[in-house]
Amino acid sequence: MDNTEQHIASAFDRDLDAIQGMLMKMGGLVENAILESANSLENRDVELAERVRDGDKDIDALEEQVNEEATRVIALRAPTARDLRTVMTVIKISANLERCGDYAKNLAKRTTVLAEIPPVSGADVSVKRMAREVQLMLNAALDAYIARDADMAERVILQDEDVDKLYNAIFRELLTHMMEDPRNITPCMHLHFIAKNIERMGDHVTSIAEQVIYLVTGKMPDDARPKKDKTPFMDGGS
Amino acid sequence: MNDMTMPEQTTKAEADYKFTAKGVDVFYADNHAIKDVSVDINDKTVTAFIGPSGCGKSTFLRCLNRMNDTIDICRVTGDIRLDGEDINDPKVDPVQLRAKVGMVFQKPNPFPKSIYDNVAYGPRIHGLASGKAELDDIVEKSLRRAALWGEVKDRLDKPGTGLSGGQQQRLCIARAVATEPEVLLMDEPCSALDPIATAQVEELIDELRQNYSLVIVTHSMQQAARVSQKTAFFHLGELVEFGETADIFTNPEDSRTESYITGRIG
Repeated sequence: MDNTEQHIASAFDRDLDAIQGMLMKMGGLVENAILESANSLENRDVELAERVRDGDKDIDALEEQVNEEATRVIALRAPTARDLRTVMTVIKISANLERCGDYAKNLAKRTTVLAEIPPVSGADVSVKRMAREVQLMLNAALDAYIARDADMAERVILQDEDVDKLYNAIFRELLTHMMEDPRNITPCMHLHFIAKNIERMGDHVTSIAEQVIYLVTGKMPDDARPKKDKTPFMDGGS
Repeated sequence: MNDMTMPEQTTKAEADYKFTAKGVDVFYADNHAIKDVSVDINDKTVTAFIGPSGCGKSTFLRCLNRMNDTIDICRVTGDIRLDGEDINDPKVDPVQLRAKVGMVFQKPNPFPKSIYDNVAYGPRIHGLASGKAELDDIVEKSLRRAALWGEVKDRLDKPGTGLSGGQQQRLCIARAVATEPEVLLMDEPCSALDPIATAQVEELIDELRQNYSLVIVTHSMQQAARVSQKTAFFHLGELVEFGETADIFTNPEDSRTESYITGRIG
């Protein structure tokens, strides 16, 4: 069945389109929040960080709206098959996006603290790169959703390995900085939380890509992806 | 079609199939109404037949107790077995077959007799009761099974046609179960009922499943989803897809099934 096939009840199509429109709007806001929070950190731009923190309200409000509309469609239209999967994935993806928004907000919050202390050389750039990587992943995952493209979603899932590798590298880098000079501990702890949060965003984006695969194929993908987080086994001497 | 008659998780020995139909074709004069349908119906299971009007689902249902015999221009070919026995064998008495394979129709059709006689009719003609007391027992048991006893026990001698629509349909179900059938065929049993009576009949279907094999034809996809464990989708006389109801309604394999159940033009 191709995607353009319409329901006999055209209002059903309008309802589904409206919910998915809200989800995409939410996705755009989250992408922006990730980029701007990373920019605010790199440039020690407290004003921009403040705007990111403030913008999270809009993301939360959209999530609520998506859930309300999805509930209404379930109650009134009793969706089945692909329609049911659409509604279910919209609910799950909006939750993933909302969490990503929270992480971006937290990044911005730590930026306002970090702006008061001297930067740790190099670490900011790595964090920025990682954030950029996750934003691109999210962009691709949302494109895969719109195009109902399971292969594209599959590639997004694989991309998360790069994010995990970046996180491992940053973890190592931060450990080195802290061992070199205890005065680095405060900024490095903040930077570590930031890196960890970006890594978690990558996991949420992976989950979005998995939902796209479920939406298209009706089956959740196997979790065959190798785990790349090696930090539980790292110590300062390694 | 054989490859999708049984998903793996419920593959059972032949013995667990109540009905096995292979290569069934039905013609109304020149009209080829059912095209090479093969399907296995499990015992103690509700199987729903869904599909748009004229898809052949009722026609196929009527093959299972040879109701099509009553239509002169109707010709049925293929192999249909109930517990391994060919139901179209000339030695099989269609009346005996219909005692084993009961039927409930779209519109409640009680006989113009008392409530008691409606239920007692089948057991009487099949000689299932040896005396008045035993017949009384069968009537009470059947009415209880149809969840109607409490509402009619004080007026068993009143005409069945005086009951409400939902009560009449449950009376017809009581009449159908009175002969202790092994299979109950239901052709749109709730389409003339209000939501409360529908819920009562659905509850009854679920109870009857403990003892019988049920096959229900319904236009309400929500009803099929609610009451059945297996669903068969018919389209233009073909059996398009047959599988677990949960699979059909979440992830159907055939695009025609998906178009139909999601309410798209297909």
